[in-house]
Amino acid sequence: MLDIIQVNKTFNRNTVNENKALTSLSLSLNDGDFVTVIGGNGSGKSTMLNAVAGVLSVDSGQIFIDENEVTSLAEHRRAPYIGRVFQDPMMGTAASMSIEENLALARRRGQRRGLRWGLPKRDRDFYREKLKELELGLEDRLTVKTGLLSGGQRQALTLLMATLKKPRLLLLDEHTAALDPKTARTVLDLTEKMVARHAITTLMVTHNMKDAITLGNRLVMFHAGRIVIDVKGESKKELTVEKLLSMFEKISAFEDFDDKLLLS
Amino acid sequence: MRRALCIFAVLLMISVIVISTGCAAQNGAANPTEGSGQFYLVGISQLIQHGALDAATQGFKDALTEKLGDRVSFDFQNAQGDPNTCASIANGFVASKVDLIMANATAALQAAATATADIPILGTSITEYGVALGIENFQGTVGGNVSGTSDLAPLDQQAAMFGELFPDLSSVGLLYCSGEANSLYQIQTIQGLLEADGYTTRLYPFTDSNDLSSITLAAVGEVDALYVPTDNTVASNTGIIDNICRPARIPVITGEKDTCAGCGVATLSIDYYDLGYATGEMAYRVLTGQAAIADMPVEYAPRFSKMYNREICEELGLVMPSEYEAITD
Amino acid sequence: MNISFSNLLDQFPGALAQGLIWGILAIGVYLTYKVLDIADLTVDGSFCTGGAVFVVLLTRGTNLWIALACAFLAGALAGLCTGAFHVFFGISALLAGILTQIGLWAVNLMIMGKPNLSLNVGRYPLLVSLRYLQEVIKGERPFYSSPLFIVSLFILALIALLYWFFGTEFGTGIRATGSNIKMAKAQGIHTDFAKIFGLMLSNGLVALSGALLTQYQGFADINMGRGAIIIGLAAVIIGEALLAWLFRNFALRLASSVIGALIYFLVIQTVLWLRLDPNYLKLLTAVVVAVFLAIPHWKSRVLQLPVRRNGGKDHA
Repeated sequence: MLDIIQVNKTFNRNTVNENKALTSLSLSLNDGDFVTVIGGNGSGKSTMLNAVAGVLSVDSGQIFIDENEVTSLAEHRRAPYIGRVFQDPMMGTAASMSIEENLALARRRGQRRGLRWGLPKRDRDFYREKLKELELGLEDRLTVKTGLLSGGQRQALTLLMATLKKPRLLLLDEHTAALDPKTARTVLDLTEKMVARHAITTLMVTHNMKDAITLGNRLVMFHAGRIVIDVKGESKKELTVEKLLSMFEKISAFEDFDDKLLLS
Repeated sequence: MRRALCIFAVLLMISVIVISTGCAAQNGAANPTEGSGQFYLVGISQLIQHGALDAATQGFKDALTEKLGDRVSFDFQNAQGDPNTCASIANGFVASKVDLIMANATAALQAAATATADIPILGTSITEYGVALGIENFQGTVGGNVSGTSDLAPLDQQAAMFGELFPDLSSVGLLYCSGEANSLYQIQTIQGLLEADGYTTRLYPFTDSNDLSSITLAAVGEVDALYVPTDNTVASNTGIIDNICRPARIPVITGEKDTCAGCGVATLSIDYYDLGYATGEMAYRVLTGQAAIADMPVEYAPRFSKMYNREICEELGLVMPSEYEAITD
Repeated sequence: MNISFSNLLDQFPGALAQGLIWGILAIGVYLTYKVLDIADLTVDGSFCTGGAVFVVLLTRGTNLWIALACAFLAGALAGLCTGAFHVFFGISALLAGILTQIGLWAVNLMIMGKPNLSLNVGRYPLLVSLRYLQEVIKGERPFYSSPLFIVSLFILALIALLYWFFGTEFGTGIRATGSNIKMAKAQGIHTDFAKIFGLMLSNGLVALSGALLTQYQGFADINMGRGAIIIGLAAVIIGEALLAWLFRNFALRLASSVIGALIYFLVIQTVLWLRLDPNYLKLLTAVVVAVFLAIPHWKSRVLQLPVRRNGGKDHA
């Protein structure tokens, strides 16, 4: 349902700092895919996510979501299709607004916001139910401003907000990287649970190779702005960290060689 | 609990307002009128500090002190150029029940006239009372509780000075502050008079002291001479004008004396001290009941004198006709 | 010299009336400064625009309420300008406001035709006036024509309206834009439109405040907006420093800005009453605002409480 076709993105073109972040990138996702994305720093993973979300515009190429071309759509116009969780836990919620207000915002993601009352009483019970699933005790703190919550709580809340209205595509940008190991584990478990329950098509960028291997049905590795490893199904189940690393070393050694060699 | 606290706070705010209105009403009724009888309290509301306005205030105070000695005291307030503060000052005077208000400059007069229809108000340093108070067909007497003195110098005689002193020049620039209530009227009148005399004129309005120098610089490059009216902002910034005009050897004729002392060559000036003094004399008649303010027409400056600035004239090599007095202070 | 405390109390109603009128401006400044997180300098210009439009219309015979509505719209247009500079021209919000304010000087002069326009309270039926206040105190006018009463009602109605508006879906979207613009975009909120709308609403209120002030003091002056943003910010900051611990509710936050304006003008009236050298008035304003700004900072240092951190504010 997601098609990225021959997308190019260069930063600081024609200057000393020129950076070809994405080079002829192509990637297709099917409905229900849970794809983990790994790669070194500057390899293009986050750039790809931002390009799909509409935060950046691409230099050339096309992006389709469910047969709809979104390449030139502004970020807020793609929002009906996309749910996102950012790396910075502070980024996903409005700190000066309460939990229930944040959830109310997420509830109307992508819809026209008119003059109806934003927080009708009957929605409160719905929010309480949803918060119970997080098992963080937030269901009793609906009126607390999110700025007072811990990073892990905010991240879990952001995850809930991203999936409150089932998105066509869930983008997770290293969303546990800024959390301590225990909280990261909790959020990751939650991620797995939610994606599985609602069968959401997901793109998850992560630095953690183990997580990348254990989660999802497909693994993709970025290097120098393009995808160099794409493993799905059975072969993914048999992957180990060592296998992955040796695959990567082989490829970087042959960096200058053309595509045929890389994908063999 | 919190909600109750909040509602309580709102009610508290409302009650504070209501009570203070009531309190003041009580105070208003209970207090005996201060300053009645032989002892007078006079409030002076001045818009901004500069030579001419200060001189008018001083003349006013001197006139009343001469006539009433210890029986008069003054409450002097300066709005620092902020017209909104004039309302606060007027409010203070009315609440203090002063016996008379002297309003020095247009905004001060307007605020005072709005604040009270009972306490007599004498304005000064105001060019046109009809315009200032929104009176149609103004015939010279304001009526009600307002009168005062006007600083309108005969603009036709000022325009004639160009012909007298600089018959060979052909263009005159008119420099004034676009934010000043009285300047536009003076400029438009002078413009008509100068053009009738055969000069070409150009207008140079500036916003405030920040763009004064760039506007003046533009002006000296384009005209042969400059005229600046009786304008508070000009009067407060004559140094800027002088620093540009003198090196460029452009003569400046000004609307009043203090501006001329700062940057001008010559002026047909009223003496603001005299104007203030005349206002003081009017105040004496009103306070002692010798005249009803509603019947008093606006008075004008008692005398005009042609004056010149010796230093600038010498530097520019200009010789003034003998009837001109040198400005001294 | 007349220094008696009861005399100061007599002056309070006038100061409170001014505080209430400027309180509407404070609410407008609150909307941009606190809700949208923009320091909007358009205010210095739009305050005068409201006054100018109102006086010109009223003296030409327009109905008072229509003239007030037009003043509001004129302010909204000014806000639209700033919003357009910011959103379509990509200029930072601060600079956009300054640009509009500079342009408004000439526009205001054009509207008024000259730098000062009189609004003679004897000739026109006004909603509020310093004269009416004095007359109510003396008992010559009924209680309900006092500016204190009328403007208080105005403000209560305004706060109720704003409370409802910012609770709607659209209004919540505007609040989210100010709180965390990145997240707002991700939630599909049209943040550009939200910012422009917020600026229009805020400057409309500021213009309304200007229109009321011209009635109150009896004239519109090209210089009446000078330093208006400082007073507005001072009111918001004073209100917040004093009352934020108690007032959590949005409506009460707006009220605290009004209270800040009241306090400001009470202080001014007191300074005048004390016969302090008026040169010190502006210096005093700066000191008062600085002190109030420092209060939360000192509180946190003394009590070792964490200062509330607002994450996600990385927009220009």
